[in-house]
Amino acid sequence: MKQTTLHDEHIKLNAKMVEFGGWHMPVSYSSIIEEHKAVRNSVGIFDVSHMGQIFVSGDDALNFLQKLLPQDVSKFSENHAHYCQLTYPSGGMVDDLIVYRLKDKYLIIANASRIEADFEWFEMNKSGFNINLENKSDEYSMIALQGPNAYKIIEKAGVENKSLPKFFTICEQKLLNFDVYLCRTGYTGEDGFEVIVKNENAIKLWQDFLNLGKEFNILPVGLGARDTLRLEAGLCLYGSDINEDITPIEADLAWSVPKDKKEDYNGREVILNQRLKNTPLRKKLFAFEINDRVIARHGAKVYFQGIECGVVTSGSISPILGKSIGLCVISFEGENANLVTSLNTKEKSIGTDIEIMVRNKLYNAKIVKKPFVEKKYVK
Amino acid sequence: MSTQRPPEGILCSKSHEWVLDDGELCTIGLTDYAVEQLGDIVFVELPEIDSEFAKGEVFATIESVKAASEIYMPVGGKVVEINEELINAPELINENVWEKGWLIKVKCDTLSEDTLGLMEYEDYREEVA
Repeated sequence: MKQTTLHDEHIKLNAKMVEFGGWHMPVSYSSIIEEHKAVRNSVGIFDVSHMGQIFVSGDDALNFLQKLLPQDVSKFSENHAHYCQLTYPSGGMVDDLIVYRLKDKYLIIANASRIEADFEWFEMNKSGFNINLENKSDEYSMIALQGPNAYKIIEKAGVENKSLPKFFTICEQKLLNFDVYLCRTGYTGEDGFEVIVKNENAIKLWQDFLNLGKEFNILPVGLGARDTLRLEAGLCLYGSDINEDITPIEADLAWSVPKDKKEDYNGREVILNQRLKNTPLRKKLFAFEINDRVIARHGAKVYFQGIECGVVTSGSISPILGKSIGLCVISFEGENANLVTSLNTKEKSIGTDIEIMVRNKLYNAKIVKKPFVEKKYVK
Repeated sequence: MSTQRPPEGILCSKSHEWVLDDGELCTIGLTDYAVEQLGDIVFVELPEIDSEFAKGEVFATIESVKAASEIYMPVGGKVVEINEELINAPELINENVWEKGWLIKVKCDTLSEDTLGLMEYEDYREEVA
């Protein structure tokens, strides 16, 4: 199993460790619920060094990314972050990404388990483009500070308030004498930062952040709470909610896909037709709540008016709402086509009753709006 | 949690339940080791009063944030009491596994037979260490 540079710090903090996408990672240090609440109420620190950093540069970098992403990369401003998907010609997803446009190159943050698949996909698509691809995932660590007090730690680390990057932007910054990429991004629905730092400086920076955060009762946060936080915020997890068999539109990510991108890209015909509502969706991702004391986890079957029509892709408790919540994908094909017409627009679907099978028993669930807990980004 | 002492005389199963016989009824709960592994417990599904289970049968399901776990009878018997407090406060299992976190009380008529193979707490901790 691979270890991040911060691995021994987690052991020192008595973290419970698990295997995740080939990495030995902390799932929790104290209690998932306490860690979750620390992020919502004050600040938490995460080791997300397993995630990938891929740099794309060269004369054709823009045109290359235009071919790979449904997003219109020509409209990306310098130092801005964009939520993107890497798509196959089928419209399904290789991965979902954050793409930063830097001065003379693009920085792509990839999911840990997809770094190799993404890089391979880049390689397969690069012929004819004058670009330079660099997978620097093994050189960089990434530390996230998330929560309403996260910015105070960055200030204490030497960045004046007026110099803090704005929401979804990135800057190159000296932080406690280390050169870092400081990004105002995250995966929790809270204000916060992701700090990309060379491995050799990661341990010192982690320890310094923990010290600076003491007055805010900072907690180290493991993958357990990272999952409940992103789920409450209605954010998808690649490999659970999204994969090569679902398009960005079907995954309810239409907000991130422009209707008017002129350039061709992998999957454009399928994705754009769905985006413009020219073709019906084959399936769709929905958020649900259950009032019973049960959690419908990944793989649980979903029923609509007694007929099996879908599957739970993520399910957990919302520590903030104290409720069972989740995401599911409902199929609009085959026998279900007529049954589920009432679900094929957002307006009609909210409030619809469905049922979910857990341990051979059907429980009532309701389709609800995302996010489950309002996002508190500082824009 | 690990600083709390288990009650004198409990016996533990390999599937991480404990049982304490008070001469009349057997109280059944989860071990501290099991609770540590599960993490935050959020829902508890307990059996009906008067239902009967054999040793080794599933009698309850516990949902932690991470996973759902089935809980097995360390001894057989008829359920005479369930810990209703857990329905609204499942975190009691995390907070106080030996006293407030018990799950059910059963009447067991085959105790001497059913406790064969169960371990004293110290031996159990060695086994799972």
